[in-house]
Amino acid sequence: MSQPLLSIDNLHVRFARSEDEVYAVNGISFDVYENEALGIVGESGSGKSVTLMSSIGLLRENGKISSGTAHFQGKDLLKLKPRQLEDIRGRDIGVIFQDPMTSLNPIMRIGDQIMEAMLTHRYASRKEAFERTLQLMHEIGIPDPKSRFKNYPHEFSGGMRQRIMIAIALACEPQLLIADEPTTALDVTVQMQILALLQDLRRKRGMSVVMVTHDFGVATNFCDKIIVMYGGQIMEMARTDQFIRRTAHPYSIGLKRSIIEVGHRGKEILPIPGASKALTEEPVGCPFAARCSFATERCFQETPALRIYGEDHHIACHHAEEVARHAV
Amino acid sequence: MAGTVAAARSDALNQKIKNRHRSSWYQGWKRFKRNRLAVVGLVWVVLFFLAGIIGPWVAPYDYRVGDFLAINQGPSWQHIFGTDNVGHDMFSQILYSVRSALIIALGATLVSFVIGVILGLWAGLRGGLADVIIMRGVDFMMTLPGFLFALILVVLLGRGYWSLILAIGIPGWAGYARLIRSLVLGMRNGEMVEAATALGASQAHIARRYMLPNVVGSMAVSLAFGIPGDLAQIAGLSIFGMGLQPPIPSFGNMLAAAGDNILGFPWLLYFPAGIFAITLLAFLFVADGLQEAFSPKGGN
Amino acid sequence: MAVVKFIAKRLIQIIITLILVMTVSYMLMYYSPGGFMHTTVMASVLAPLQSQNPILYQQVMDQFNSRYGLNLPLWQQIAKYVWHELSFDFGNSMQNPSLSIMSQLKQTLPVSVDLAVGSVVLSVIVGVPLGIVAALKRNTWIDYVVGTVSLAGQAIPAFVLAVIMVLLFGVVFPGILPIAGWGAWKDAILPVICLSAANIGVVARYMRGSLIETLRLDYIRTAKAKGVKYWPMVMNHGVKNSLTAMITVIGPQFAFTVMGTIWVEQIFGIPGLGKVMQTAFTSFDYPLAITSVFLLGSMIMIMNLLVDIIYAFIDPRVKL
Repeated sequence: MSQPLLSIDNLHVRFARSEDEVYAVNGISFDVYENEALGIVGESGSGKSVTLMSSIGLLRENGKISSGTAHFQGKDLLKLKPRQLEDIRGRDIGVIFQDPMTSLNPIMRIGDQIMEAMLTHRYASRKEAFERTLQLMHEIGIPDPKSRFKNYPHEFSGGMRQRIMIAIALACEPQLLIADEPTTALDVTVQMQILALLQDLRRKRGMSVVMVTHDFGVATNFCDKIIVMYGGQIMEMARTDQFIRRTAHPYSIGLKRSIIEVGHRGKEILPIPGASKALTEEPVGCPFAARCSFATERCFQETPALRIYGEDHHIACHHAEEVARHAV
Repeated sequence: MAGTVAAARSDALNQKIKNRHRSSWYQGWKRFKRNRLAVVGLVWVVLFFLAGIIGPWVAPYDYRVGDFLAINQGPSWQHIFGTDNVGHDMFSQILYSVRSALIIALGATLVSFVIGVILGLWAGLRGGLADVIIMRGVDFMMTLPGFLFALILVVLLGRGYWSLILAIGIPGWAGYARLIRSLVLGMRNGEMVEAATALGASQAHIARRYMLPNVVGSMAVSLAFGIPGDLAQIAGLSIFGMGLQPPIPSFGNMLAAAGDNILGFPWLLYFPAGIFAITLLAFLFVADGLQEAFSPKGGN
Repeated sequence: MAVVKFIAKRLIQIIITLILVMTVSYMLMYYSPGGFMHTTVMASVLAPLQSQNPILYQQVMDQFNSRYGLNLPLWQQIAKYVWHELSFDFGNSMQNPSLSIMSQLKQTLPVSVDLAVGSVVLSVIVGVPLGIVAALKRNTWIDYVVGTVSLAGQAIPAFVLAVIMVLLFGVVFPGILPIAGWGAWKDAILPVICLSAANIGVVARYMRGSLIETLRLDYIRTAKAKGVKYWPMVMNHGVKNSLTAMITVIGPQFAFTVMGTIWVEQIFGIPGLGKVMQTAFTSFDYPLAITSVFLLGSMIMIMNLLVDIIYAFIDPRVKL
């Protein structure tokens, strides 16, 4: 395959708290290729959002990238000045967020909010931007764009607002779309519509998407490749079909089982014993070890490296083969 | 193995939580002490109270007696703050003013507070129509400045100590009533109490550990803001010619009286205006410090 | 239509409040020692008359009572009085029976309104930028200085500041700015500054808190994700949203500014409503006193109503 579009290498992120530090991301590496949809799955607090937000400079104030690189179009995003990042955000990389109810400016017309991205980047003249906004609104499924242009966010439903967020993210035709839990806050039926819309827009544009979600079903339906994260580390990374057929990591297996047991998507993943905790010390060993039924002494002392497990399939587990025997 | 580590950790955490609760007063005091302006303010406030208490004994001159041989004199060793147009010693005048200001301000704040507590409790505990009527009253009082009501009350009651305490105190109840009512409602269905009950804490324990510091803290903060407000109102009434009847010394009267000959004898204003302004600042810094240290929202 | 209904509803509320205030004031003055005859002029003229010529005294009293409607039952007096006030028929003052209250107010009220409006404008112009700077530089020395100065401005009432200003520009730096009188625009500088100190403090502190909170909201992150540059982001998404909330603070604050004018006018010798009010209260000129309370109260409440209407226009989420 050609050069990756986005290449994250050995990323470490920490958050300062009043008395201690949280190790949120601990050595993450992955590539996103052109025209590829990557799904990053994990519980809340697994570091999946932080990984992406830190690479585009949208970390919270107390977050600090302690090491790593994030190459995008030949530039290391982590070394760019804030101004240079501003030029890339919204133009080459679009972002949509979890909660459409709070992600739009309540006192700005939605049309202006869509246009703002284009005008900021001088992507289009005011007139062109206006025309393009109407076009985008039509494309994302807002009926009667001309009259809706002047409406404020509170005059739209949650699903409609998320469509507007998508229009904002796509305004400058970015090559990469980062979707941070784009359907989590929506009703199940609306979730499906939004996913279908995203899939359609992506196909038409040949755009790459990185989707962060805690919902296995959403990820496997939408994405070509899946990354499972836990404790700020990658547990398993595989092509989606491989992943579905040969789920190998005890954590992934637990996640998958929990969905089947719960019976439908959209529920928090609970049935894995124990709960994930914020890491306040430099992690040693496998982060999942304390909750893992296969864990041995080695798992607590030696961090498992991400190793090749099969074709397009990587795993970070000392006992993957043993786990596979048990699972059968 | 992992289990014992986790257990040890949670023990340490429990200890930490316990310590924090046992010393919530101490923690507050520690936070207060870190605020330098508040500490300086507190020192001044303490001095001000001292002056109010022992002032009449240490004042070098009687406030009623003027020395006609020494009128409108600048500061000197005999009269360190100078004398006014009838020969009153300004230093003594100020010492007596501190006392009159404190008596009225504390009295008025107490009157407001007592009315506020009674009405707030009534509204919060009874609910229903009583609540509606009392809260309407609160809205009504909040629409118009209390000073306006105070002016009208002074006309009715006169210009003595008691009248001023009542005139300033009576219109000031609304803020306290609202606070007390919200505390009552907060206690009835507060999340904190719910959580504590869920954890199996006894009623008395809940009251002592959680409600008391919260309630006392909020009330102390609102009283701390109330006193300088009332101090300002007293002086404001004097400026208007509706304050304490001269010759009882008061800051407001000194500010108002000196206005006429300000250019000739500015020291008649330097000291009263300066001390009064610093006092109000000191009270407010203390109040602000208390708020930061004790109110649940503060800290950051 | 909804707007009209809202305004009508609020106006009725305002009128009810005013009726209440006037009723209470009237009753307080009615029952005050000496009642309505307590007027200083009346007392000095009538007291000797009462002993020297009781018949003439009675005639004067009857005339006085019928002139001010004091021989009617109390509730009728109040009803009549409130009705007159609400229809802006204020009658004559007792102190100056030949002078209609309306004519006194016509000269003095605009002065106070000028001062109050000037103060609100100044406090927004100064307070908002201070608050923005403090929010953006939060927890730095700039923030602490702005915070402390704002608190100080709030602590010291306008009249104390006025006295300090008079000392400063009358004694320490004489001749730079006028410290008394009214006429030239320069005369307004010091009074407006004194009136604004507290407002600037309130506005700056509120703006700081509001902006810090706003900048943490999700839609700010959206703006950043769009690539909006720092200052456009702060101004268009942060400050604009904080300002809408700001308006609700300015309204009640205006009330205290109006109140403050009457003190500041005392110290700077400005012939405004404050001067009239002072004369009214100290000389027990009841009609004038109640009328000035009525005017102050209605100004404050109408200002609050205006603020609510403006707020509804600015924030699309608010429905009247």
